[in-house]
Amino acid sequence: MKFKLGMAALTAVTVAAAGAQAQQGADFYKGKTVNYIVATAPGGGYDTYGRLVAEYMQKYLLGSTFIVKNMPGAGHLVGANAIYASRPDGLTIGTFNTGLLYNQLMQLPAAKFDLTKMSWVGKAGSDPRVFAIAAGAPIKTWQDLLDQKQPVNFATAGVGSASYVETIILTKVLNLPIKMLTGYNGTEDMLAMRRGEIAGSIASRSSYDSFVANGYGRFIAQIGGDNKDVPQLASLVKDEKAKSLISLVQSQGDIARLTAGPPDIPADRLAALRAAFKSAMEDKEAQEKAEKLGRPLEPGYGDDVLKQIKDALNQSPETIALLKEAMSKK
Amino acid sequence: MFEVMFSALWAMLTSPSIMGLMLVGVFIGLIVGVTPGIGGRLSIALAIPFVFGMDKVAGAVFLLTMHAVNGTSGQISSIMFGVPGDGDDAATTIDGYPMAKKGEAGRALGASITASGFGGIVGACVFAFMIPVLEPVVLSFSPAEFFLLAILGITFIAFLSGGDNIFRGIIVGLFGMILATIGMDPTSGVARYSGEFLFLWDGLSLVTAVLAIFAVPEMIALGSRGGSIAAVSSTQARFSFRQIFEGVMEVPRHWWLALRTSIIGALIGMVPGLGGSAAAWMCYGHAVQTSKTPERFGKGAVEGVIAPETASNAKEGGSLLPTLFFGIPGSSGMAVLMGAFLILGIQPGPAMLTENLPLVWTLIWALVVGNLIAICFLLFVVRWAAMLTFINGAVIVPFILMLVVIGAYVSEGRWENLVILVLLSIIGYGLLKADWPRAPFVIGLVLGKIAEESLNKALGLWGMGFFLRPISLVLIGLIALTIGIAVWRQVKRARRSAAREIAA
Repeated sequence: MKFKLGMAALTAVTVAAAGAQAQQGADFYKGKTVNYIVATAPGGGYDTYGRLVAEYMQKYLLGSTFIVKNMPGAGHLVGANAIYASRPDGLTIGTFNTGLLYNQLMQLPAAKFDLTKMSWVGKAGSDPRVFAIAAGAPIKTWQDLLDQKQPVNFATAGVGSASYVETIILTKVLNLPIKMLTGYNGTEDMLAMRRGEIAGSIASRSSYDSFVANGYGRFIAQIGGDNKDVPQLASLVKDEKAKSLISLVQSQGDIARLTAGPPDIPADRLAALRAAFKSAMEDKEAQEKAEKLGRPLEPGYGDDVLKQIKDALNQSPETIALLKEAMSKK
Repeated sequence: MFEVMFSALWAMLTSPSIMGLMLVGVFIGLIVGVTPGIGGRLSIALAIPFVFGMDKVAGAVFLLTMHAVNGTSGQISSIMFGVPGDGDDAATTIDGYPMAKKGEAGRALGASITASGFGGIVGACVFAFMIPVLEPVVLSFSPAEFFLLAILGITFIAFLSGGDNIFRGIIVGLFGMILATIGMDPTSGVARYSGEFLFLWDGLSLVTAVLAIFAVPEMIALGSRGGSIAAVSSTQARFSFRQIFEGVMEVPRHWWLALRTSIIGALIGMVPGLGGSAAAWMCYGHAVQTSKTPERFGKGAVEGVIAPETASNAKEGGSLLPTLFFGIPGSSGMAVLMGAFLILGIQPGPAMLTENLPLVWTLIWALVVGNLIAICFLLFVVRWAAMLTFINGAVIVPFILMLVVIGAYVSEGRWENLVILVLLSIIGYGLLKADWPRAPFVIGLVLGKIAEESLNKALGLWGMGFFLRPISLVLIGLIALTIGIAVWRQVKRARRSAAREIAA
């Protein structure tokens, strides 16, 4: 009993301390301008989430002004590098594609960041991956895909993009009859599926939801998320090596729509940012707006997100070797 | 059908709140248009928080008109100072700026504003007519056709070489195509000609290249020559509403050209994948190719202003089609607009036709009325703007160079583009000094990239036999015809000059 009381008191004290720290940090933001970097051009999921997060964080960080700055380039690398290299004064945060995880795993020289060292504010949503198949293709189920005698065409963005990496590793490790066609950016893959030249694509569910709702396609498997209408890929696969790669893709999708700053933001300011982020995610109006956009809020906060990132990066040497091999051979 | 059509118009015109918002939308759109570096999509992204909670019809009309009139004001600076706001406006510069130099800025502006509005309205009509056949038309264009369309556009270079020497145009065009290969190759994952510079991975910034090749050289020339942009005095130029009105009348005089380029522009906009700049350039090339006096182009031919302006505004109506009825946006601008529509509670997709037909008609009418308002407003105010071309160059050059620098920086927010601006400006000035054509450079840059990407896709999909599709064969025929005409003209010209030499 005493112990429990003690624990409760301790918790109360820590919470109060964190609260005090956040308050101290919040005072710093009065009259300050915060740059929120979005690593893509306007439009699309990252921009939508970024603008929403910035708008409502400003609401809860009294006296602050958030400015959204689009910094597209090199598949989010330019923006991510810029956030990482910015001054850690808590006045620059931003969002970029979690697919950059792969770049760090493969130790590509252009990725000048260490995701585990960044100051994690939170994540606004997750973005499960799906196998989307064109309505006109004869593939109705996962088994149908496996049974294809001839390889079917799958579209991905450019070589090296997250969509390319995911498609190639899943194709290799699951031995799928897929022929990859690269260079389909934005919504080009959807049009190509409508024209019938592409059978499918491994993509984020949110971008394909309306495509499927309009009757142009179907989902045959999903990685991550809690939708009940599509079977989870992990349940369709037995091979352990494959499962570990699927879980890597899943964690990537889980932490999508993140908000982070450079390493070593002072603790009180980071606490204030995290508190504002939490209030923003719990704001009724923000939730309603996100829902309307078809980009619902599924928030995660601070250290939890950091832990997810660390777990995702903690891959066995075999997995990393597999990734590198997938990237080097076409 | 007609009942829905006109009741939508009536409902729109009689609603003070919708018309008020449309006026605001037109006004903001025009301001964003004249500001270098800020594109239409950014203005919509910024407006999204304000439309939240707005009535869906009013909000959609507001955003659409704001987006649609953007291009109408964008060409003002490309005509007056040779400073294009983006890739589309660059085509207008080629003949618009020489007109300003001749003291005809008013005529050029009158023509371009009217052409732009005309294009926007024709684009809306194409939108309305194409609804029933949207699917088969849009879906019949695949990477194979994109590749051939791009090649067709590239062959127009032959007609843009200005003087007697076709090879100069080809050399400059090839230079543009070489620069188009800079960046990450989507099929090999290799960053080409990019060194360690991440900002080059996405290719050369089109806005920066266009400013460097067109605007900066003109400003250097103006500064070293002295005097004002217009080589004649303002009294000689009879600068007045009359001159602007003359420009306005150029559009009905060239109505057949304006109609063709509007329709081509709307069709290019309708088929996602070619991009907005391609429309303006292909129509410019088309105007030169079909002209009886192609040698006038580049020296201030009014058709060279009308064609790209009609095309770049007509494509807005076209590009709205796949966005609204497939739910698949055709451009990044449309992607932002679609996001805003979702916030308003409009769900783009095939159900728009069955459930939201009145809204569809309202949007079509909004394009028409918004463009008309923009034309009237601009024709009225532009008179004072055009006076700037008579100001002494020493006063205006620093100011315009500042605009150029801001435009190159803001378009992508990267300082590295300023280095590119300086480097390419040197080449641009060299071309100007040597009197080599500069338009082929931009065509090579814009279409070279599309050609390469589509060729890679087409080969991946169908192998070497990709061009044996019906539309592809028609396009190949057009390409052969274009090259044939170019060669024939060249030979004829060579013979004529040879005959002249013998006679002498």
